[in-house]
Amino acid sequence: MKARSTRARVSFVVLTIAVLTAVFMVRLVDLQIVQAEALNAEADTKRTLTRVTHGTRGDIVDTRGAVLADSVERFDIVISPRVTLLRKDASVVVLEDLKKITEIIGGDPNQMLTMILENPESDFEYLAKSITLEQYQAVDDLDISWLYYELNPERTYPNGEIAGNLVGFIGTDGPQAGVELTADECLAGTDVEASYARGEDGVALPGSAVETLSPDDGGTIALSIDRDLQFYVQQRMAQTAESLGATWATGVVMRVSDAHLLAVSDWPTVDPNNVNLADRGALGSRAFSTPYEPGSTVKALTAASLIDAGVANQRTQVVSPYALELANGGGIISDSFYHEDQRLTLAGALVESSNTAIAQYTDLLDAASRHDYLAKFGLGQATGIGFNGESSGTLYDAADWDARTNYAVQFGQGLSTTSIQMASAYQALGNGGVRLPPVLVESCTRPDGTVTDIPSTEGTRVISEAAAEQTLQMMEMVYSSSGSAPNLAIPGYRVAVKSGTAQVAENGSYGGNVVISYAGLAPADDPEYIVIATAGIPDSIYSGAIASTFRDIMAQTLTTYRVTPSSTSGPDLPLRW
Amino acid sequence: MSTNLAYAQPQPLRRPSERPAHIEIVTTRAQRKARPRMLYAVVTVASFFVILAAQLLLSIVVTQGAYQIDSLQYEQKVLMRTEQSLLESLSLQSSSQNLAAQAAGLGMVPNATPYSLDITDGSVFRLPGSADPTGCGGSCGLVGNTLLSGIPLVSAESAAAAATAAKSPVAATPGAATPGGAAATAGTAAPEPSNNAIPAPVTR
Repeated sequence: MKARSTRARVSFVVLTIAVLTAVFMVRLVDLQIVQAEALNAEADTKRTLTRVTHGTRGDIVDTRGAVLADSVERFDIVISPRVTLLRKDASVVVLEDLKKITEIIGGDPNQMLTMILENPESDFEYLAKSITLEQYQAVDDLDISWLYYELNPERTYPNGEIAGNLVGFIGTDGPQAGVELTADECLAGTDVEASYARGEDGVALPGSAVETLSPDDGGTIALSIDRDLQFYVQQRMAQTAESLGATWATGVVMRVSDAHLLAVSDWPTVDPNNVNLADRGALGSRAFSTPYEPGSTVKALTAASLIDAGVANQRTQVVSPYALELANGGGIISDSFYHEDQRLTLAGALVESSNTAIAQYTDLLDAASRHDYLAKFGLGQATGIGFNGESSGTLYDAADWDARTNYAVQFGQGLSTTSIQMASAYQALGNGGVRLPPVLVESCTRPDGTVTDIPSTEGTRVISEAAAEQTLQMMEMVYSSSGSAPNLAIPGYRVAVKSGTAQVAENGSYGGNVVISYAGLAPADDPEYIVIATAGIPDSIYSGAIASTFRDIMAQTLTTYRVTPSSTSGPDLPLRW
Repeated sequence: MSTNLAYAQPQPLRRPSERPAHIEIVTTRAQRKARPRMLYAVVTVASFFVILAAQLLLSIVVTQGAYQIDSLQYEQKVLMRTEQSLLESLSLQSSSQNLAAQAAGLGMVPNATPYSLDITDGSVFRLPGSADPTGCGGSCGLVGNTLLSGIPLVSAESAAAAATAAKSPVAATPGAATPGGAAATAGTAAPEPSNNAIPAPVTR
């Protein structure tokens, strides 16, 4: 009897333990296996802190390292009106605090209070945006408990309008224009999130970093632009445009030896710090994006083509009337000034910028060859820079030239180019007939020191070295003997130059509006720099109005780069016969 | 204290009447003689505590390190921000527009007849110089910069005051910022040239 009751008791205990163990097992499996993932995730959210580290967007600098675009840290002040208003006598106390804040960051405290009172249930409102580091530190020192801060990386352009059209700007949706947009791949940094388990005071628990990655900062873009020269060119072009009453103006300086663009000015222009102040049409770079009929500056290219083809030389003679009836039925073309018949050499035709003379030389070479020369000079083709909104200009196939265009293209009408394309074509003249791809972006340097985006230096031969040299000599005659020579003189230097006055086609016909330009190289005996100054729709229709602008920019360029004066005197070619 | 409890004769288990022990384990004389070594126990227990203490200390150090890392990281962040803020200010101050305006404000003009020395052959040649049709040396505001609106122009007086204040720390009193104070300090504390500086010619 006693033994049986003992056995029953033991059985009961064993059974109970077994049942309890089973229950615990089920619960254990449930927690550790079935619900494990969800529970871990929930725990992580309670004890971990995710910190976003911003990769800094790279700088854009000029060729000497001067900063044109810079990333800076700004702070937004964020509040929770609901929490703010929990305080006793909230509207009085908060207004006191707001007064202290607005003393530092500016603004109207009453307006801020109204905003807070109007959104009493909100948990997220901006009190102020984009305050500077000093302001942030000063506000933070006030120890106002209901303020929170958000880091807000921004972009500044310390040189304002200098190269503003080239650098571009950043809108709320990212880069909008210029190099900011086209070189975004190099400039953009990568943000990184890292999670830590945190203690009560927010300090990361040792060894708890789930993942530590360093953010990738963006690379630095170096432009070929020289800030100080760019500053001068922009000023001089602005003065020119204003004094000529022009609608637009561009100025380009290019180095001959490597086709680097040292200055590309646009007027009107944009200050990337405050894009809203600029005309909508001035947000890009006109020098890249807006082609115009260049006019007589193309005559230098025509002369170079004819000499290279061996069908003409500096002394080839024509008789140039004021007006010439084209033999192929293309109508009558005339020169811009009335004159009696002139007996001109090719050099004389450039000095007088005679359309009727150039038209007669044009007949010496077939259209297809002339087209190929213009194409090799880079007209009608993208420059390869890939600037945002860049235009290739227009050069129709030779087969599509009508009777008049066949001649007109050789003096720069019936085709269109950008200022950059003209600079590039002249670069071939200065570089012994070899045209190099123009360069705006010199390199992208990553934070780890690797350098990418090195531009190609592969040139194409357009004309022979001799043809290039002879063309420059004829352009020197323009510098020394044309009507604008006194306005072009840079004492001590030989300069090769050509003027251009092109009528602007409006609604299918040429009206009274013109584009005037001067394009040239110096020193002519060993060309180092190309300058092109262009003004669109000026009050004056004579290219001479911009001659002194060309001279000043060239003089500044020669001074900036300490170019030694020419040791020889210029050629003395016969202009008439 | 006796330890014979551990070596007491094994007591018969339960129900000696039912199951008499037939076999007894008898400790040998040698075993009986073998006293437990106190040293082992002490060493073991002590090691245990030493390990525990070391672990605790390491943990404290690591935790301390976490706070130190945190504060240093914060310090680094603040310093980087300060550096960046100063660089920002520097690039703004050194912008071409600001330099041109400040220079013009101080009465400087572009050199119309610059000369250059060619160091390869020692020849001196004249450069074309900078043409300035408007006569304002780049300070006409033709090329704008909205960031510069808050930067005041340096006047000749304030520049002199700053130079005096920098050279003689004693004179760097708040009063030196005002023109009157500047004149007073310039009169009383003439700046002394430092001994290791290259003497510069006085130009007017």
